[in-house]
Amino acid sequence: MTKHHPDTLILMEYSAGNLSEPHALCIRLHLDQCPHCRSRVDTLDSLGAVMMESQPQVGVSSDMFDSILSRIDSEPNMTEEYISTRAKRVGPLQKLLGEDLNSLPWKRQLGDVSVLDISERFPGQSEQVVLQKLAAGGKAPAHTHRGDETTIVLQGAFADQKGVFNQWDFVVLNQDDDHKPVAVGCEDCITLSVLSAPVKLTGTFTRLLNPFIR
Amino acid sequence: MTLDQKPARAEGRKDPWSQMLEKVGKNQDRQAYHALFEHFGPQIKYYAMANGLASHAEELVQEVFVSIWRRSCLYDWRKAAASTWIFTIARNQRIDMLRKMKRTSAEMPVETEDLWQIPGENDDEPVTSLHRLMSERRVRESLSHLPEEQTTVIAKVYMESKSHQMVADELNIPLGTVKSRVRLALNKLKVILQDQNV
Repeated sequence: MTKHHPDTLILMEYSAGNLSEPHALCIRLHLDQCPHCRSRVDTLDSLGAVMMESQPQVGVSSDMFDSILSRIDSEPNMTEEYISTRAKRVGPLQKLLGEDLNSLPWKRQLGDVSVLDISERFPGQSEQVVLQKLAAGGKAPAHTHRGDETTIVLQGAFADQKGVFNQWDFVVLNQDDDHKPVAVGCEDCITLSVLSAPVKLTGTFTRLLNPFIR
Repeated sequence: MTLDQKPARAEGRKDPWSQMLEKVGKNQDRQAYHALFEHFGPQIKYYAMANGLASHAEELVQEVFVSIWRRSCLYDWRKAAASTWIFTIARNQRIDMLRKMKRTSAEMPVETEDLWQIPGENDDEPVTSLHRLMSERRVRESLSHLPEEQTTVIAKVYMESKSHQMVADELNIPLGTVKSRVRLALNKLKVILQDQNV
């Protein structure tokens, strides 16, 4: 069971459909594993429905219903097709990254840290989207963050001054967080991070880009 | 006898729109479909216009209704009220329309529905009917007691897809004020985790 949850305001922006795709992905991955937050999002979705019904209404053209009917008549199997496509669906993470996170083309960065920039999988987004791997037992150099950095743990666990972050835990760090993460447990720790601005190192290293190090 | 009573009692909790949507899903009932269209069509059209899709508003209404038809057999009133289910479809169709305006499908490895889920369509989701229906009723009830300054902010987030920062800029108030108004409202709607420090 996850212990670190997204803030309610982020969940609200998710429910309203206002988050960028990489941020929505982080939320979705957490929701899939956290019934608690899923139930909060259910309530927020109801809030959206009630907001929509309390707004003004605008009449639709008189022939629209007929064109909708002719569209559904022209595709009599749409429901069956939808259900069979749905049955074959794989999760967003697998779709993006395949089955095995450990065998991705990781780039060794520094010491125990490897990274993989997957920003180009989200065309048209301004954020940097990075996978980071901290070898089991490894330490990342101390660093702060210039903008907000949203992170979800995909495998293993890491610990810093704020606590232990396990699989599917969700955390947002900003410029006030100067942290020194350590991978705990016997597995490499893999995280997915969305960065609104590059990381700044606080130690002796001068240039690094990533979540353990961005 | 007891077996007969159970569904009857459950039926009593269903709101009329959820009953109609269920008829569409189970029997392809076109009369019920039309009633849903008359009720939700104008709401969705306004939703599209408020969201900056004025020239595509009717197109969005159409897409939402075709999508409702396509997936109505998966609708389960115990998992979401019809209005909530339809809102999430409208939201997803809006996101999808904006994404498609910007790029080709080859450039979108992840589909909108991989990111934004429709409630109740996850097979492993437990049925928690009472909780969900109460939450919908509670939201409607609590919302009517909120001060206008709180509902205004929430309306801008949901209806105009504005971030908290954009709402702050527009209303010319600090970001912190926007956030605290939203938190106050969500607190009353009991969305905030009790163990969360906010």
